[in-house]
Parts: sequence; C-alpha cells; structure tokens
Amino acid sequence: MKIIRKLLFKNQNKKQLLIAFVGSFLGLSFLLISVHYLIKVNEFGEGADILGPNTLIVQKKVSTSNTLNLAKTDFSTEEIIELKKKKFILDVEPVISNNFDVLFSTNDPLVPRFSSDVFIQTVNPNFLDIPTDMWKWEKGDSIVPIILPRDFLVMLNTFMSASGIPQVSDELAKDIRFRLRLTSDSGKREFISAKIIGFTNEVASILVPKSFMNYGNENFSNSIPQKITQIMISSTENEFGLLENYLIEHHLESKNAQVLLGRLKSMVGTLIMVVLAISVLAVFLSSLVLIQYMQLLMTKNSYEIRTLLRIGYPISFISKRFLIYFTQIFSFVMVLSIVLFFLVKLVLDTLFMEGGLYIDTQLTVIGFISLMIIFILFIISSYITAKKGVSKEF
Amino acid sequence: MEILFKNLIPHPLKDYPHAENSIWGKEFTLYSPKKYLLNAASGKGKTTFTHILAGIRKDFEGNVEIDKQKITSFNSSKWTEFRKQKISFVFQDLQLFPHLSVKENFLVKNNLSNSFNAEEILNFLKIVGLEEKFEQKCALLSMGQQQRIAIIRALLQPFEILVLDEPFSHLDKVNTEICLNLINQRVNELNAGIVLTSLGEHYDFNFDDELFL
Repeated sequence: MKIIRKLLFKNQNKKQLLIAFVGSFLGLSFLLISVHYLIKVNEFGEGADILGPNTLIVQKKVSTSNTLNLAKTDFSTEEIIELKKKKFILDVEPVISNNFDVLFSTNDPLVPRFSSDVFIQTVNPNFLDIPTDMWKWEKGDSIVPIILPRDFLVMLNTFMSASGIPQVSDELAKDIRFRLRLTSDSGKREFISAKIIGFTNEVASILVPKSFMNYGNENFSNSIPQKITQIMISSTENEFGLLENYLIEHHLESKNAQVLLGRLKSMVGTLIMVVLAISVLAVFLSSLVLIQYMQLLMTKNSYEIRTLLRIGYPISFISKRFLIYFTQIFSFVMVLSIVLFFLVKLVLDTLFMEGGLYIDTQLTVIGFISLMIIFILFIISSYITAKKGVSKEF
Repeated sequence: MEILFKNLIPHPLKDYPHAENSIWGKEFTLYSPKKYLLNAASGKGKTTFTHILAGIRKDFEGNVEIDKQKITSFNSSKWTEFRKQKISFVFQDLQLFPHLSVKENFLVKNNLSNSFNAEEILNFLKIVGLEEKFEQKCALLSMGQQQRIAIIRALLQPFEILVLDEPFSHLDKVNTEICLNLINQRVNELNAGIVLTSLGEHYDFNFDDELFL
C-alpha cells in the first residue's frame, strides 16, 4: 500500500495543493464562524421576553390632532388586513383591552397587602413565547394565568422594600398568590386568583388569556364597543428595515428598545449573511480547485495508473487510493477550521461580552451539520472524479 | 485455457495485404499449456495482437473467445481478474515503474497474489545476475537489465498463459538463454502456455507451433 501511495502521489505540484488547501481552510472556517454567529444573532433577545422574537407592539403616534379628535388613534379592520398583506410582515393581531374595572392585589399571607387599579390586555398566543397549556383559562377555573410587566415587579419590589420585606426575584414572584377583582359600572364584582407565569419588558399592561378577557368584557363591560389602539406585528428575519420604514411612513410607533434591537439584529444578520454567502462561494471554489487538482494529479500519473491496471490492479482499488488521499486532506482542513473557529469564537465572545452584548456562547449544531454536509458532498464528488479518472485509463 | 480467434483483423491493418500464412483474418485456436512463437517483421501487428489479448485494444473486427466467452463482453472487473490470475504479460515497452526500485517493482506485482516471499524474489534476480540491483531504481538500469526485470515481474503471479512481446530484443545470447530457462521453469511449474513474439529469431525456444503475421 505504501508503494502504491509513493507511486501515485510522489509526482505532485505542491504549490497548487497548498493554494487549494488554504482556500478550503479559509472557506470552511468562515462558513463555520458565520453560520454560528448568524444563528446566535437571530437567537439574541429570545427568552429574555415572553413575547416571541421579531415582535413589535405598535400604536398610532399621538399628536395634537388626535387630542383634538381630528385624527383617529385606533386601527380599523381594513388597516389590519392591509398590514397583513405586506411581504415583510408575518402576522398582525389586535391587542384587546379591558372594558371594565380591574383591581390587582396581593393575596398571600407572606406578602403585605398591596393593591392597584390596573389595565389588562390580551394578545394572540402565537406572539407569546410560552407553552400553550400554560396559557389557558376557562369559565369556572379558579386561577387565571397572567404575564406581568417587569416594571410592575420593580414597583412591587419598591413597595416590599419600603415595608421592610425582602425583594423578590422573577422566580419567587411566580409563587406569590395574587387576586384580580373585576367590577362593572353597575357595581357587580367578582374575585379571581391570579398566578404570574412570565414577565415582559415590552407591554405596559398585565396580559391575560383571551378567554378570560372575553369573559370579563361579556359580564362586566359598560357595553361601549372596544377600540383597537394597539396591534402586534411580527416581522420576517432580516427585513426589519422595511417594517421600520413602513412604521415611519404611516405615523406608527413602537417602543424604542424593540425597534433598536430589531434594527441591530437585522443589520448584523444581513452582514453575516453576506459573509456566509462569500464563505459558501469560497468553499465551493476551493473544493473545485481540490477536485481539479485531483484530476491534474491523475493526468500527471496516467502512466502509473494505466500500468497498474494492466498488471492486474482493479479500478476500484486505485480510485480508492485517490479518494482516501483527498479525504485525508479535506479532513485535516476541517479539523484546522474547527480549531480556528474555536479560537475566533473565544476572541469574539470576549469582545461581545466586553461590549455588553451577551450573546449565547454555546455551540450551534447547525454549524457543524453544514460542515458535515460539505464534507459528504466533497467525498461524493471526489469519488465520482476518482472513478472517472481511473476508468479513463483502463 | 483455449483462445479462439475468428477472422480477427485490427482496424489499422484492415486495408493492407497480408501473407498467405498470416493469422490475420483467419480462424485458429491457441491452447494452454502449448508454446507458440509468433514471428513477424516490424509493423505487422505483433504488439497489437498482444494488446488485443490483454484487453488494451478494442479496435478490431472479428471475434476473440477465451474459454468460449467473447472478450468484447468482458467488463473491467473480468479483465482485471483475467490479468491477475489467467494471463501475464511482458510488454514490448516493459511498463516498469522507473521511479521505483527493482524490489518495489516486484512487490507491486507480487502483492496482488503473494505468490513469492522476498527471498524467492531475490533468488529470481540472482538467476538473471542482477541481485545487486535489488534496491536500485529501474530508471538507472540498462534496457537489457530492465527487460530481465520485466520478465521476472511477469512470473510473480499465477497464470495459464504467458505473453512475451519481443522480450529478448536487448539481451545477448547467454542472458536470453538464462531467461528462457527461467521462463520455462515457471511455465512448466504452473502447467501454463506461452506466446512469444519475435522479429524472426527462433532463439532456443522449444515451441509447439509457429505463427506468422
């Protein structure tokens, strides 16, 4: 076997092999790095809020003309349908508000009494990043799940601190028992226990399941038709700029933090997409150079291949030697790329951390899957090239 | 082994006149373990004939059947098996690997069937007087020395017929005789046949039949 290797691979143009090697190495490294960070940037911000990713709560800008009742601040059904038609918008749903009085209070012997009139809203569960079995309520259920604005928890903690009670974390707050009091204009009242299942930075009101809101509006409403003043919009990945332009053009506004995060993710995502496209092209071209190098090597060693075939060596045996040789080269390139990826990741994660961007540092499986796919494609094309090249000499 | 030739004529020789006793375009059979001397002047198609037998050339009319199987129906695996087990060649251009040593050239062939150990291979080399060349590169040897290396290489495998294309063209009488003895010894051992092409020389080859082109 050693002699055959010496026979087939001694006559080489090392410079060309080195160029193909470096090209593949850089292409694969950039591919791995860009796939990893593309996923991480898209995941950025997920889980921090109960609202799903790329979701905005939008309302009409309030101006003097709104105040003077010259312009409307609510959304019509036509406007919502029109929004749904935009290609950069995945979904639009109205945010429904309460049309009755709600009092939110603590109902736990371990926590001092605290109560406040509150504003409750409901959104389509598709926009929420919570399991559907947690987000349901039916008439007769004693506990209603709620999502609390994080600012509300800060306020609650300030109150606790002032009362000489230790402040509570997100997790602890979920164990405190609360109560909602629903009151109609006619004085009809009902108490229902409430349990926090999540927090949001983006919504200023307490969120409740739609069925609970319907129940409240049906039984405690003042019968004035409810206006839709806020809508939820989820945008497509990396097309946040189009949505933002649309909002500006149509005098709509959203919370600054949401817009900023969306803009940042969209911009970084686009940049990484460009790097990814260049990487794929680099991998493709360098693999092509490697395959062409294999063809060149076979042409240079055509006498050796032909003679081996004539003295009794099978085509499969010789083509396998080429396949193994180039698989070894590509595997070595892959290992080096993975090493470079980890080094770059170490530096980039530290840089992000120092810059205040807490990107998840865990590895992405998809990056390695893409590497494996490229490896398999390379093996298949090497096998075909080797077999064809050797058969030609038969 | 039985090789039947039916009206065989290579395309490049089709339009040329051939002698009355020429085998081109005739029907005849080669039997193993018989020994044949194929005699013809240059350019009459000796190498073409051996290359057709090796499955290297396919540009011919007529049929060649080996053990009643048409060689045109052979796929690459069949030819490989045939070249490995049934028929061995000494090509006119020798087809050695010049950058490999004599030892490596032998090992490349012997590794296919493991017919001999290193000592036995060295013994072949001793017989032809080239034992000191065992580690030398083939490219550094004279044509006569290379011819002897090619002959030994052809013997390092099992075969039913040995085809030698002008194998002694660069050898003197003494070395030709030594090589012929070595060939005969191995052929008799395997109960195989020989097809030896020559430019008119009969050497001291004890053949059963003489063929002409």
